[in-house]
Amino acid sequence: MKTIFPYVRKYLGFAFLASLFMILEVSVDLLQPGMMAAIVDKGILGLGNGGQPDIPLVVSTGIRMILLVIAGGACGLLSAVFSNFTGQSCGNDLRKACFSRIMHLSHQQTDDFTTGSLITRITNDISQVQSLVMQVIRGVIRCLMLFVGGSYALLSLNLSFTVVVAIAFPIILLYIIFVLRKTSPLFLILQERIDHVNSIIQENITGARVVKSFIQEDREQARFGKANQDLTDTQFQVSVLLSFMRPVMNIVLNCATIAIIWIGSIQVREGSLEPGSIMAAITYISQILNGILMLVMIFQTVTRGMVSGKRVEEILLSEPELKDGSVTEGDPQADSVVFDHVSFAYPGTGRTILRDISFSLRPGETLAVIGSTGCGKTTLINLIPRFYDATEGTVSVAGADVRLWNKAALRNKISVCIQKSELFNRTIAENIRLGDRNASDEAVKEAAKAAQADSFITDMPDGYETMVAQGGMSLSGGQRQRVAIARALLRKSDILIFDDSTSALDLKTEAALHTTLRRDYKDVTRIIVAQRIASVMDADRILLLDNGQISAMGTHDELLAGSALYRSICDSQQSSRQKGGV
Amino acid sequence: MAQQQNVSFRGGPGRGMGTPVEKPAAMKDTLKRLFSYFGSEKVYVLILILCVTAGVLCGSFAPRMQSSAIDSVVRGSFSQLPRLLTIMLILYLLSAAAVLLQGLISARLSRNITGKLRNDLFDKIVHLPVSYLDGHSHGDLMSRMTNDAENVSNIISQSLSSLFSGVLTLVVTLIMMLSYNVPLTLLTCSTVVLTLLATRFLSAKMRLYYVKRQELLGKVNSTVEEMVSNCRTVAAYNLQEESVKDFEQTSDALKKTGIIADILGNAMGPVMNSLSNITFVIVAVFGAWFAIHGYISVGVISAFIIYSKQFSRPINELAQLYGQIATALAGAERIFAVLDEKSEDFSGEPKLGKVNGVVEFSHVNFSYEPGKQVIYDFNLKVEAGKKIALVGSTGCGKTTIVNLLMRFYEPDSGTITVDGTDITKISRHALRDAIGIVLQDAILFSDTVRANLKYADASISDEKMLESARLASCDTVADALPDGYDSFLASAGAGLSQGQKQLLTIGRAFLSYPYILILDEATSSVDTRTEQNIQDAMARLMKGRTSLIIAHRLSTILDADQIVVMDKGHIVETGTHSELLAKKGQYYSLYMTQFAGNAT
Repeated sequence: MKTIFPYVRKYLGFAFLASLFMILEVSVDLLQPGMMAAIVDKGILGLGNGGQPDIPLVVSTGIRMILLVIAGGACGLLSAVFSNFTGQSCGNDLRKACFSRIMHLSHQQTDDFTTGSLITRITNDISQVQSLVMQVIRGVIRCLMLFVGGSYALLSLNLSFTVVVAIAFPIILLYIIFVLRKTSPLFLILQERIDHVNSIIQENITGARVVKSFIQEDREQARFGKANQDLTDTQFQVSVLLSFMRPVMNIVLNCATIAIIWIGSIQVREGSLEPGSIMAAITYISQILNGILMLVMIFQTVTRGMVSGKRVEEILLSEPELKDGSVTEGDPQADSVVFDHVSFAYPGTGRTILRDISFSLRPGETLAVIGSTGCGKTTLINLIPRFYDATEGTVSVAGADVRLWNKAALRNKISVCIQKSELFNRTIAENIRLGDRNASDEAVKEAAKAAQADSFITDMPDGYETMVAQGGMSLSGGQRQRVAIARALLRKSDILIFDDSTSALDLKTEAALHTTLRRDYKDVTRIIVAQRIASVMDADRILLLDNGQISAMGTHDELLAGSALYRSICDSQQSSRQKGGV
Repeated sequence: MAQQQNVSFRGGPGRGMGTPVEKPAAMKDTLKRLFSYFGSEKVYVLILILCVTAGVLCGSFAPRMQSSAIDSVVRGSFSQLPRLLTIMLILYLLSAAAVLLQGLISARLSRNITGKLRNDLFDKIVHLPVSYLDGHSHGDLMSRMTNDAENVSNIISQSLSSLFSGVLTLVVTLIMMLSYNVPLTLLTCSTVVLTLLATRFLSAKMRLYYVKRQELLGKVNSTVEEMVSNCRTVAAYNLQEESVKDFEQTSDALKKTGIIADILGNAMGPVMNSLSNITFVIVAVFGAWFAIHGYISVGVISAFIIYSKQFSRPINELAQLYGQIATALAGAERIFAVLDEKSEDFSGEPKLGKVNGVVEFSHVNFSYEPGKQVIYDFNLKVEAGKKIALVGSTGCGKTTIVNLLMRFYEPDSGTITVDGTDITKISRHALRDAIGIVLQDAILFSDTVRANLKYADASISDEKMLESARLASCDTVADALPDGYDSFLASAGAGLSQGQKQLLTIGRAFLSYPYILILDEATSSVDTRTEQNIQDAMARLMKGRTSLIIAHRLSTILDADQIVVMDKGHIVETGTHSELLAKKGQYYSLYMTQFAGNAT
């Protein structure tokens, strides 16, 4: 919790005010039974009045009591205001800090956390921490006050009541410890089971077509049934444990009450105690025990909050893996992209994805990357905008090692169109404009035209103002890719990278896109990952990647002449030339 | 505070905080249906009612004993005291036992009923037609399964017995007070009106802010979800600072609304506290006055003091319960709305036997939305054992044809037959059993590679699985993973590349040995050499079986027996590769762009 504490410290002043008002409120609560006793003893029983009830005394004490209670209520309200302010502000600061940290995590770190877990942590877990802070400020102080103050008032009424407290308190304490030790591990299990149930639902909704076409409805039902059973069983266990809490506490409380009446009656008989004091004592003892009961509830929140706090802490403690550099301007004369004996393995796997890759690109050159599924094409691309750092060797952009670059400046020089087109729940125009926030409407349209997207966008009823559903689901695969391409083109950066980002385009559209690129983006260094020979054959150079190594590099004709692997790829696509005889 | 102390198990956001109070529309029907879930638990409900009654009665009689005890202390008649105290002890023990039993039964009811409700809902979702899932927000369905079911669970486990005992306590306390003294009872009740007014005012305000807070919370959730799942684009376009700024705005708004909502919630306590003390003073003043005039004894005053506390507590609780119950009923209503959706109809010929694979579309018209026709007079006959390819630009209706053949959607007019039988006469299970399909989006499940491959039938032998994996070239994918076929694909294969996922889905389809195989852009992210290996394997595997292939990449379909070129929902050309090339029509120009690259 060390990492989280500074977020609370900032609001310590408000927390202090909250506690102060809480103390005032509880003090009123503690004064109350004494006044009640006065009303009963002096007013109703008329103990100072020769056995005659004293109504003026009842009224005056009553009014004082009401005023005091209202003042106490006002203090309580103020305490709520300050403690809420503290809790919510801490929560808000934590939420913002976490989000900002998440935005700067490396891809590796995001993958390790998983999206779902990050979302739960930033929403659910933070609100748990938030209620922990509020509970500690308000609840703990209240309970302690009630307990200490109640005990003091009770004992000052009559010392013989000590026995009652001395017996009741340890029993309750032991019981609370017992229940807490039982429940806290269950909360963790509960959290995991909820996650499991949710993920099965999620998969079945998104994968409905697969489930249906394989007729696996029964199997999925059974799978869900089991997860559901596990969840409800755990919930049941928690409920059962908690069910014992109240009756046990009630029994202790009520036995204490009976004991007090018994002990009190003996004292009254001896004449050392007034009957009104018994009633006050009953009120005090119930306050003490209620304080303890509240403490139990608070401990539950605290247990849950601690678990959540740790999960939030994990985000805050994850250092950005890639340290930022300072280079903001490259050398325009230098080679655009240089790989110098680069090797790469994903951290922790030990499996080398790229081996000893070396090549350099002049500004304005076009490089195509081709190779079989899983051979490392995307990994190679990911090293250029520094999504990952090479394990060995150096990658340089515009003459400087990418590790020396300021990350934002580096990524500003590069437009990447990743394999899976990621769109946002905004209008199409806004999605494209993410490439350049200051672009004019004309520039957006130009980029869309170049990406062959203008025609389908203008065909839509709302044109560029059409809202894109979350994840881009309202568009077809090809449309999504074209919007993403338009976004990349709008960027006007020095280096343009397409990572198999035209796979859902039909051939004609793709060809038109490449023609436009060749014509209008001559000075831009282009790196194109593709499967189709047609997409790569016109590149200045083609890099043939095989199992993480450069198998061959050169122009289409050079590779046709020199690389058997390349020829076989061409054959796989053009076999029909022989077959069909064209 | 009271609400936060309730232990809630909701997985979603805003747990333990006030949820917006919604007004259920058809409360009576919903209640009736909800009660039908208690049907098999009748005995337990009965015991629960008995326990609550016993608990409330004991809890009400005990103060009576207490007041008698104090009376006897005041009067100095100590001889009765042991008896009274013993009765008190017994009553308190009984009431504790009743409370315990009540808690246990509620836990049991909650487990059984929410478990059943969630199972029912899931069964429904699994059997909902694809068209429903396509047309409704997945987030909304998810929230019905999780949040709404949880709200219902909470009223069963917590609110039900509170509601019961609340009402009962009110009635019993009222009777007790009346039996002591009528005027004093009326005076005690006088502040109830104030309590009611205060609750009403506060809960109306609270509702407003709770709803607003819930909305903002939803916004925070969706921002995080979108930004995190699109983190690669965010990084590539330096959108971090901008999205942080956006997020902070929403987050700050949430904080402000949250503070107001919670303060209103917290105000309830002090207000109620003040009111109950006012009641106390009223009871004391008038009680004393009555005592002076000899109408009542002092013990009665002490009883009334307890009763007046006992009286205001359930009113306070019921006011809070009202919100919870209304929210839960609204949730139940949303759950029932899904349960009332029509499931897919599985009637029709239950078994097909051996399928030859003659598929015929005749005069099929189709539109997803009325007035926006997607398929026009589609006619196509696929001979048994042939390989048919559908080509055409994005959005021309290829995937729709697959949707119709699988009976995910029904045509507006026209018929589709398999082996001469109208597919509407065949049960969907039998139809889908005969067809294997690989979809555009490679969807895997969070399970082991082995379980994913054996998805069609878990009892298939490992040898067959390995063979299929080899044929689909996905053996390399499995081999590259740390635990081979036993590797667990976390987050449905998030760590795999698009091409690797596609290979696994192809392996999965091969392993189901279908009579008809549909590949819808199944190899778009797979390199062409691997693709060719798969095709060679398919040629052997699908010998004598029909296959339907959709692809942009013409190399995928060159050797098809028949190529169907579609444009805007119409068939424009059909024929073999060489026939179509000779025609020099649309296919010819598609082909030229692919292999000539820039010849447009």
